[in-house]
Amino acid sequence: MRSIIFANYIARDTRRLGATIKARLISVYVFIEKCLRLSCLNHSVSLICVFDVEHSHVRFLGNLVLNLWDCGGQDTFMENYFTSQRDNIFRNVEVLIYVFDVESRELEKDMHYYQSCLEAILQNSPDAKVFCLVHKMDLVQEDQRDLIFKEREDDLKRLSRPLECTCFRTSIWDETLYKAWSSIVYQLIPNVQQLETNLRNFAQIIEADEVLLFERATFLVISHYQCKEQRDAHRFEKISNIIKQFKLSCSKLAASFQSMEVRNSNFAAFIDVFTSNTYVMVIMSDPSIPSAATLINIRNARKHFEKLERVDGPKHSLHMRMR
Amino acid sequence: RPFYVEPRNIVDEDTQERVSAEASVMNSRMQYYSRLTGSSDRLLIPPDHVIPAPEEIYVYSPLGMAFKIHGNADGSGQNPSIITIFAIWNTMMGTSILSIPWGIKQAGFTFGVIIVILMGILTLYCCLRVLKSRAAIPFIDTSSWEFPDVCKYYFGSFGQWSSLVFSMVSLVGAMIVYWVLMSNFLFNTGKFIYNYVHHVNVTDTDVGTNGTDRVICPFPNTEHPANHSADLYMTYGNNTEDVFDQWWHKTKTVPLYLIILLLPLLNFKSASFFARFTFLGTVSVAYLIILVTLKAARLGFHLEFHWFHSTDFFVPEFRSLFPQLTGVLTLAFFIHNCVITLLKNNKNQENNVRDLSVAYLLVGLTYLYVGILIFAVFPSPPLSKDCIEPNFLDNFPSSDILVFIARGCLLFQLSTVYPLLGYLVRVQLMGQIFGKPYPSVFHVMTLNLIIVGAGVLMARFYPNIGSIIRYSGATCGLAYVFVFPSVIHMISLHRSGQLRWPSVVFHSFLIVLGIANLIGQFLM
Repeated sequence: MRSIIFANYIARDTRRLGATIKARLISVYVFIEKCLRLSCLNHSVSLICVFDVEHSHVRFLGNLVLNLWDCGGQDTFMENYFTSQRDNIFRNVEVLIYVFDVESRELEKDMHYYQSCLEAILQNSPDAKVFCLVHKMDLVQEDQRDLIFKEREDDLKRLSRPLECTCFRTSIWDETLYKAWSSIVYQLIPNVQQLETNLRNFAQIIEADEVLLFERATFLVISHYQCKEQRDAHRFEKISNIIKQFKLSCSKLAASFQSMEVRNSNFAAFIDVFTSNTYVMVIMSDPSIPSAATLINIRNARKHFEKLERVDGPKHSLHMRMR
Repeated sequence: RPFYVEPRNIVDEDTQERVSAEASVMNSRMQYYSRLTGSSDRLLIPPDHVIPAPEEIYVYSPLGMAFKIHGNADGSGQNPSIITIFAIWNTMMGTSILSIPWGIKQAGFTFGVIIVILMGILTLYCCLRVLKSRAAIPFIDTSSWEFPDVCKYYFGSFGQWSSLVFSMVSLVGAMIVYWVLMSNFLFNTGKFIYNYVHHVNVTDTDVGTNGTDRVICPFPNTEHPANHSADLYMTYGNNTEDVFDQWWHKTKTVPLYLIILLLPLLNFKSASFFARFTFLGTVSVAYLIILVTLKAARLGFHLEFHWFHSTDFFVPEFRSLFPQLTGVLTLAFFIHNCVITLLKNNKNQENNVRDLSVAYLLVGLTYLYVGILIFAVFPSPPLSKDCIEPNFLDNFPSSDILVFIARGCLLFQLSTVYPLLGYLVRVQLMGQIFGKPYPSVFHVMTLNLIIVGAGVLMARFYPNIGSIIRYSGATCGLAYVFVFPSVIHMISLHRSGQLRWPSVVFHSFLIVLGIANLIGQFLM
């Protein structure tokens, strides 16, 4: 299966290429399972080998494990899987992300599976957050998109009670997928407001034009600070794409990306590891400030932000399922 | 569908970005997705409907037509020669045809005809220079370039800004002329309808011929129309006995009524709606030709040749006011800003020179036909040839039904081209200064108010379209017709080491002609 947001895990899954993805509806279950340092990694490994349901997992936000499930269209296996492995899958789940295909002709069935998942979540992990992505929105006519999404959103909210679900409309061909995932990540970070305040202070102290905080695996923007209006509204997605491409190239050489400095007469940009879950990107528009000064600043700030992250320890697991 | 975004130079602060934000982020996405799939895997290839649509391309000729080009994906043309020739004729032909008889009168009949032919050949040569200028640039892919891009290549940002300024002169000049003409036509149409509805038998106070085909002389005592037309237009409509005449005045009130109609149209974001009406232009020109022929048949020829001195009714054949004609013709034969785009769609590119020449020949013949006929059939025994107005339809009273139809057609056509010209002004000006064609409602509204205000002021105080045409024509022609093509040709020859002194002399002479043309407008 291919993941556009989680580019890292593509190479491993190239064996599973084929007609499985495009030919049928995108039905992918994604679980994020927060691993309790030791035990959960074993836990998720046991779920990998399943008939005809594609599954992979990635580390996400440091101590979370994201489980991706592609269960497209194979109903019998789905039913079997749900009944037999239900408790295993849905225990210790912190987040459920369910992906719907907007072009699906079998709305009833989709809703039925969704409700089964919700029941399981209610039983096993009632505190989980639920997100629904209405995907492939580019196939809908532009003037009808808002209408159709509103309809689906109302249906899903109604079906999800008593749980609260947040809905997004997405498509891989515009910025909506990136923005939806960024919102999800933003809600998953424990003390994100405090993080933002600290980021702003940091940026103002080092006199940076803009400071971005990225999640380590996916380069989704967790938080950012800018001191003035920027021209390009799509710059976060572009940077994420560029870095992910670079990481793919690095992985081919069995190297891993750690840091980068880009400099010319107008600006200097630094991308560096920040905390255990994040990368930071600092843009300075004053080229007279030497790189060493900014790098020292980033290093000192790193200690401070690490302390912030460690405040909130691991709670329980996250499960994400995309259908 | 093929999709390509040119690489952006992030070092220079380039205000003129040709790539929209949507296209650039889609490009970034596609590059990333292509890394995720194998090269033979068609999974993550973008479907057609997500690729941003190609930019709208409009071509316009000042005082001519403006219309939308249907771009081809692979850039090659598929129009046969005859369609291309017609497209060029269609774009060039427009309201400047109304001023040709006046121009011939200003230069003298024989001299006028000679000047029309010479200017046609001259502007054709300069147009060919423009056409070939793009091909002469080595090493760079110029397939999407227009003449302003060529100027920018040779002259840097000076070339870019000067070509913008001159383009604005031609466009805004055309829009002012359109406003004056539209007020004129609206006034006459309204007056005709009012008289028809109220069965008013108008005893025209104007001097004119008697009979069914009445020709009038609105300003009989003009010695030198260029100097006095302002005063005379002020005295028109002195008999304010009728309330209607007070509220429906050619220069005082009608230009203001037009604001209500046209200012909202200027604020549209996209002009593709107006581009559908370009066929009206052809219809109007065709109708004008028929009208001229009918009038000629009914009025008969009145020509006398007095070579160097004027008589009571006739003008000399060679007059010193001829720069006014050259100014008008510079704008009448102007297509240099869009000839590259128009000829790009020609199926057989090797015939471009031939097709352009044929198109110019046809345009010249049309102008000569209308100009000569109107001049020749102007009834000279009762009226002086000097009475020919810059807008020859003004020589016919508002009760003339054939001319009423012509005015109505032209009014409708002008009101559809006017927003299109406004859109072109906005796209070029805003795109150059602010980087995007619609920065905010306030910017666009301010621009529209300035343009409309200029039009209203001209219509109120100086509605002599002949003068507006010749000044803006000579100014804009100085850059686009005479100076830039010649200088660029000489520079490209010099860079390839093929510059010979006859070429230098000839092209410098062209530049001198252009400057003389402009100076002549102010002296004569």
